[in-house]
Amino acid sequence: MKLTIKSWTGVATWRWIANDENCGICRMSFESTCPECSLPGDDCPLVWGVCSHCFHMHCIVKWLNLQTMNKQCPMCRQSWKFNIH
Amino acid sequence: MSLTPKSVDFNEIWPNLRSTAEAVITLGNVNRSDWSTRFSDVYTLCVAHPEPYADRLYNETKQFLENHVQNMLATRVAPGPCSTSSVNGEPDLLQRYYDAWTEYSQGVKYLDNLYSYLNQQHIKKQKISDAEVVYGNLSSDTMEQMEIGELGLDIWHIYMIKNLSDDLVKHILEDIKADRCGSPEITPNRVKVINGVVHSFVQVRGYKRTGQLKLYQELVEFPLVMASADYYDNEAAKLLKTCTVSQYMEEVIKILEEETKRAKKFLHATSMWRLRKQCEDRFVNRRLDFIYSECKDMVSQEKRKDLRNMYKILKPIADNLKSQLIHTFLDHIKNEGLETISTLSGENIHIQFVENMLKVHQKFHELIADVFENDSLFLSALDKACASIINRRPGDRQPCRSAEYVAKYCDTLLKKSKTTEAEIDQKLTNNITIFKYIEDKDVYQKFYSRLLAKRLIHEQSQSMDAEEAMINRLKQACGYEFTNKLHRMFTDISLSVDLNNKFNNHLKQENIDLGINLSIKVLQAGAWPLGPTQVVIPFAVPQEFEKSIRMFEAFYHKSFNGRKLTWLHHMCHGELKLGYLKKTYIVTMQTYQMAMLLLFESCDSLTCKDIQSTLQLNSETFQKHLQSLLESKLLNASSESLEGNTKIELNFDYSNKRTKFKITSAMQKETQQEQIEHTISAVDEDRKLYLQAAIVRIMKSRKVLKHNALIQEILSQSRVSFTPSISMIKKCIESLIDKQYIERTPNSGDEYSYVA
Ligand SMILES: [Zn+2]
Ligand SMILES: [Zn+2]
Ligand SMILES: [Zn+2]
Repeated sequence: MKLTIKSWTGVATWRWIANDENCGICRMSFESTCPECSLPGDDCPLVWGVCSHCFHMHCIVKWLNLQTMNKQCPMCRQSWKFNIH
Repeated sequence: MSLTPKSVDFNEIWPNLRSTAEAVITLGNVNRSDWSTRFSDVYTLCVAHPEPYADRLYNETKQFLENHVQNMLATRVAPGPCSTSSVNGEPDLLQRYYDAWTEYSQGVKYLDNLYSYLNQQHIKKQKISDAEVVYGNLSSDTMEQMEIGELGLDIWHIYMIKNLSDDLVKHILEDIKADRCGSPEITPNRVKVINGVVHSFVQVRGYKRTGQLKLYQELVEFPLVMASADYYDNEAAKLLKTCTVSQYMEEVIKILEEETKRAKKFLHATSMWRLRKQCEDRFVNRRLDFIYSECKDMVSQEKRKDLRNMYKILKPIADNLKSQLIHTFLDHIKNEGLETISTLSGENIHIQFVENMLKVHQKFHELIADVFENDSLFLSALDKACASIINRRPGDRQPCRSAEYVAKYCDTLLKKSKTTEAEIDQKLTNNITIFKYIEDKDVYQKFYSRLLAKRLIHEQSQSMDAEEAMINRLKQACGYEFTNKLHRMFTDISLSVDLNNKFNNHLKQENIDLGINLSIKVLQAGAWPLGPTQVVIPFAVPQEFEKSIRMFEAFYHKSFNGRKLTWLHHMCHGELKLGYLKKTYIVTMQTYQMAMLLLFESCDSLTCKDIQSTLQLNSETFQKHLQSLLESKLLNASSESLEGNTKIELNFDYSNKRTKFKITSAMQKETQQEQIEHTISAVDEDRKLYLQAAIVRIMKSRKVLKHNALIQEILSQSRVSFTPSISMIKKCIESLIDKQYIERTPNSGDEYSYVA
């Protein structure tokens, strides 16, 4: 072997994989936060429904709290269930 | 003694009582049994049957006291045939009055005791209650009987003081004047006499409910203050003729102290501040032009003694009259500060800037404590001066660099160095003093976060504790909003340490050996200021470590759902072992450099075209990194132009004294100027977004707002982190009108309304 890699220090950034660019509830980009937050990422996480729609967690929780009878996805009106992989 | 009321003969009892009263009032000898008999005589007369003699007793006693005082005046006090002043050791008027008063005032007290029964049972009962005085409709001339002690004082006022006051006051003023000239006649005993006479005017009114001081003020205080004002004026005029400003101030301080002592010595305590005010007015307020005439020199040469004296005499006067000293002082700080930072140059300009400014601040802070008693007016002048120096733009079109310097100063301290932790800590704390004066805190934050990112990614920090302490200091100064991205960056690094541990455990469990020592930092996009280079450059990862990256990604996705990783290869680096030379070398280099060298595993020579197309790099990145490898001499090129068929070969003759080293990275070639420009323009973008969001927020809640009111609201909201220019605010308003968030109201040109 002429050349061997001893070690490698890698730098990567992470962002959410959302199937849309914006949150369907607050219309803000998933790259940024819900209207209540200022720092994207862990502090203002995204969540997915079983229906595959994605929202800011803060937005969907607020939305669900407003629904008195049956809790539905605001996009497809299917009953909302968190998709816990 | 018998307590039953009986009929008595007033004329029989009164002469005895009267002669005892005479002995009491002259402080003569009264034996105990006489005192008791007379004491009960007073009682007997007051309760006499069928007709009590209380009123008659009162009137006879009053008559007796009037005669007594008139007699004292005529025989003992009033100016004799010769003169009113002391001749041949004979007591003068003041002394005679003092002696008479000392005896009489004491005697009256005893007499008051002898008449206790009359006072308690007869007079107190008919006395008007306090409530009646306040609400009552009693005219002041109601003939009211007084307690005997009070009566005695009142009689002294009417028959003694009224007759003598002009002469007495004349002598008092003369003596105080003599005392000012240091006359030896004003002995401690003389002081006691004057003080006694002066206070007799207060004591004689002491029984009154209100206005006890009125007589004293009319007789002594007012004429004395008037006479003193003339005296001070004269003295000030005399001093002006002979003194320098410096000497004058010393004299004035001495005179002020002496006059205060003098007031204490001769006068009632309430007069002291009136006299002092007059003294300050004549010596200071009315001579300000003179006092200020050398102010500029005294300040610029920092003559502490003079300044201390000037402050001492200016302190009690109104703030606006001190403004000249304060302004001169402020200008002096500004001049010195600007001078100390205007000559800076070279690599360490940021260190010189902060340390020189700190020196200026510390010096004047100390001076204010030493000379100006930490007066808040001077401390705020220091603040104003520092803010103006620190936020000054060197020219109209040049930006102020202070925020950048202060951020870089922190960077220098926080980077690995030989400085001790305690010293770094102290310097960072001091640095906050300068930081607080920066108006464009957002610019500072941008620079700071970029430098912090570099330190964290490239592991250049001296200590993580020091990093965290600094972020906490900033949080304390500017709040959570200001530092939350910094905190986030910090957290990402420690999360990454955990993540790497977990990944290595996972590999062990699965019995996987990657052959590479992998260390990965995963950063949260959005929290890190990774700048314009965040755009991902296309790159074909060499298969030598592609597998390792895949393993890590798979592990990461299993641990964190819904997240996507983007590799920032321009920030990655690694160690490559070179086994084809005489010695074995371990070289630290960037990923792109590594990828290029790895292509030579299977051959010794490649064309530029081959390298670039295999790695799929854009030409700028390709050129920069290849150039850096050629400069390191690990590779040789057949031609200067690095394109097409230019041949690149391994340099088999390469040698280095060290077997472990690092080659220069290619990315650092972005010039300082470019970095600064990038940062400034990023700040500008952030400001526009901030302002637009603020305008929308304000208009949404207020619905309709005048232009000026809107501007004021915005300015007050943005103050914490920066001061926007009015033109920038206007541009943001215009762009929001274009985007139809807000509109101008139809009836007024300078009013906006929110478009729902
Ligand atoms: Zn949302
Ligand atoms: Zn949120
Ligand atoms: Zn749905």
